[in-house]
Amino acid sequence: MVQQSTQGVATPSGDPGVQRPGSQSVLAWASRNARLLAPLLTLICMVIFFSFATEVFLTTQNLQNIVTQIAPIAVAATGVTFVLLCAEIDLSIASVATFTGVMAAWLWVGDVFALGNWGIPVSILIAAAIGVLNGYMVAYIGIPSFMMTLAMLTIARGMSVFVSSGKPIFEVPPVLKQLGSVSSQVFGIPVIGIFAVAVLILGEFVLSYTKFGRYVYMTGANREAAEMSGVNTRQVVMLSLVISAVTAGLTGLLFIGRLSSANPSSGEDILISTIAAVVLGGTSLFGGEGGMRNTILGLLIFGVLSNGLNLLPNIPITFKQALQGIVLLAALLLNVFALRIERVQTRNE
Amino acid sequence: MAGTEATESAARPTLPLPPLDAAAEPILAFRGVTKRFGGATALDSVDFELLPGEIHGLVGENGAGKSTLMKILSGVHTPDEGKMILRGEAVQFTSPAEAKARGIGVIYQELSCMPALSIAENVFLGSQPTNRSGLINWKQMRRDASHHLGSLGIDVDVSSPAATLSLGGQQLVEIARVVFSGASIIVLDEPTSALSGPEALRLFRAMDELKARGTSLVFISHFLEDVLAVSDRVTVLKNSRKVATLKNEGLTKQHLIQLMIGHDADALAESYVGGVTLPPPSQAETVLQVEGLTQAGSFHDVSFAVRKGEILGIFGNLGAGMTEVARVLFGRERATSGAIRLDNRLIAPKSTRAAKQMGIAYLSENRRATIFPRHEIFKNITLAHLDQIVGGIVREKREIAISTDLVQRTGVRPPSPTLRAGNLSGGNQQKVVLAKWLTVQPKVLILNEPTRGMDVGAKREVLDLIQALRAEGVAIILISTEPETVLAESDRILVMSKGQITKAFAGERVSKDLLMNYA
Repeated sequence: MVQQSTQGVATPSGDPGVQRPGSQSVLAWASRNARLLAPLLTLICMVIFFSFATEVFLTTQNLQNIVTQIAPIAVAATGVTFVLLCAEIDLSIASVATFTGVMAAWLWVGDVFALGNWGIPVSILIAAAIGVLNGYMVAYIGIPSFMMTLAMLTIARGMSVFVSSGKPIFEVPPVLKQLGSVSSQVFGIPVIGIFAVAVLILGEFVLSYTKFGRYVYMTGANREAAEMSGVNTRQVVMLSLVISAVTAGLTGLLFIGRLSSANPSSGEDILISTIAAVVLGGTSLFGGEGGMRNTILGLLIFGVLSNGLNLLPNIPITFKQALQGIVLLAALLLNVFALRIERVQTRNE
Repeated sequence: MAGTEATESAARPTLPLPPLDAAAEPILAFRGVTKRFGGATALDSVDFELLPGEIHGLVGENGAGKSTLMKILSGVHTPDEGKMILRGEAVQFTSPAEAKARGIGVIYQELSCMPALSIAENVFLGSQPTNRSGLINWKQMRRDASHHLGSLGIDVDVSSPAATLSLGGQQLVEIARVVFSGASIIVLDEPTSALSGPEALRLFRAMDELKARGTSLVFISHFLEDVLAVSDRVTVLKNSRKVATLKNEGLTKQHLIQLMIGHDADALAESYVGGVTLPPPSQAETVLQVEGLTQAGSFHDVSFAVRKGEILGIFGNLGAGMTEVARVLFGRERATSGAIRLDNRLIAPKSTRAAKQMGIAYLSENRRATIFPRHEIFKNITLAHLDQIVGGIVREKREIAISTDLVQRTGVRPPSPTLRAGNLSGGNQQKVVLAKWLTVQPKVLILNEPTRGMDVGAKREVLDLIQALRAEGVAIILISTEPETVLAESDRILVMSKGQITKAFAGERVSKDLLMNYA
């Protein structure tokens, strides 16, 4: 208000609405889509850089490695995308993943219950139940998702240790081993990668082509307005947290398949990687904007960076983690600037 | 009424005010202050004088210029023309902080108490007394706070949280904060709208106490009784101009309403100013019936019925409880007691979704709570009835096609459904929200301030659309704080005041001042 009125005084005849010449329409289009183009640009730059800087980056073997490395994170990131779009957060994904994996292995080994392969759907159901608990507490009781899922992080981690008595379980269902291993491929593509892509595509379908997906966006964009449009926003938030728990559970299964063992004290690092990948892709932490396409880009950036840095010669191995963080920060900065451009562009239209 | 003409011409800058206390030098004076926003004049060469130790009431209709005057006074706006003289010295505030530093304090309608902090901390918010080492001197703070509040007639334990106080109590705490930060001029914006009778009396006592100490108070309100109860003088604004400043001796509410509405030529042209004759009550079937609806703390024993193809207007001032009634009907809030019948069936909408599915639609008065500025217009429009519109799979093409029709029907400009809603002006955003409720024809359409902030043309378009919906048999509840809108469009009219229905008009002649008299 203040700004408007003083502007009116300062430039009484100012006319900001001058028509842009047609040659600038490409720029306008780019500005409008900056949320997708900024991470894409980052990705392209990285791929070009690593292709020239290392000899092995562009080999089939290495690309297969990248796919296998990011596939489990990609599955969890699909669910986290729903949660972030709702303007909520899920900090329990890593622990839920570990717990689901431990449960599947534990039920396979059968010290108490021997369910065989049925342990797999049962452990996924357990993950879903965790999601229901998260969602109910957040959406209906009103505990902030940050606190609720932080508590669930501890609970699920503790349950993994309790169930497995704190020791890794070295027998896992062979189905999962086949799914998780680098060597199982279809036309040279690791099966685990195909699985992850299928989950991402399903996520994109739900987000962009179903009623629920639209509700997720609108609930995240303005919860009160969604409520005043007759959207059951509590249900939307709850379901998003259930989806996130289920995809985290699937990630846990992929992990024990890849490692051929379930370790109750590992896997915590995927929490940061997953959320980082989603945010790097350009999905807003404040809800309502972004989507699965952004998440895919974020995952690729993340995968290429972690893989590429390992291939670089002449960099002390002890410095790599810090360097990875620095590059991610740079990518986030690019996103922020891109969004500023996008905002200005859409405001002026 | 004889004084009206004389004082009307006093709005011109050169004429002196009616002789008042000639001895007193005004602590603050506006001389020919004009403020424009774009093409619209919000304040037109207004003179205004505030004497030391007086309570000065400021009244006028919505849009008369009250809040602009207040915002100039508090440094939010700077005048385009004219002078503001504070203690005999011409001043120009560039920020609210500057006004505050010069001793002008404002108590806004929305309180800014921190409910979790103690009462003492709230009194000293931002200026806590410190001891020599720079730490907060809690002892002194508590002692001073309880002393200050005691002098305003509040005797409370200042170490308990502010949330334990009633709304009126919190208001007094804010007044105390402003007073003891050194304000000698205090502006109160609609302070009584949320207060109960006894609480308002307590506020008035505190105001009198401040006045006795030489503080000057500006009291802005729609509640004319309240203004008349405490003010020494009252200034009436109308259409951005000052109509009169009157001594509060023998003034009546009727008198003030006459001055606020006035009888100038172009207003007379509009029939509703003189009054409208409501049509004979409709005999169509009752769609929505409300009996003894009560929500503790906001409205009490509200009963009415709306028939098919009828517009029921509800008029009242801000805080009269109309919005709360609407929110209960739309399932956003729960009633404490009472019954709601839709098509003769008892209903109790538990959620907005439930209400929507029963055929109740609600256009909220709060635009921030209705629009998705960063999303396309068509997504804003299709959200409420997405399932009926797209079925199983969302196809944006179909959504855009449906929205294109509705955008034209409601007169959204520019009429392109793929534009982001945030790029539209406020009035056009309101049309988008209206369009949202027309994707599927509702049985009951509740409109809360549907034309607020719109220019005359847009207003007409929306009102025409509402009349068209009425003709199609929709039962419409039209809630507004603008008497013109309610008068011009309604079949029957209810007036609400402080949570209760004070009057129901049907089939008779109603005028604006009659409406305002009951509010």
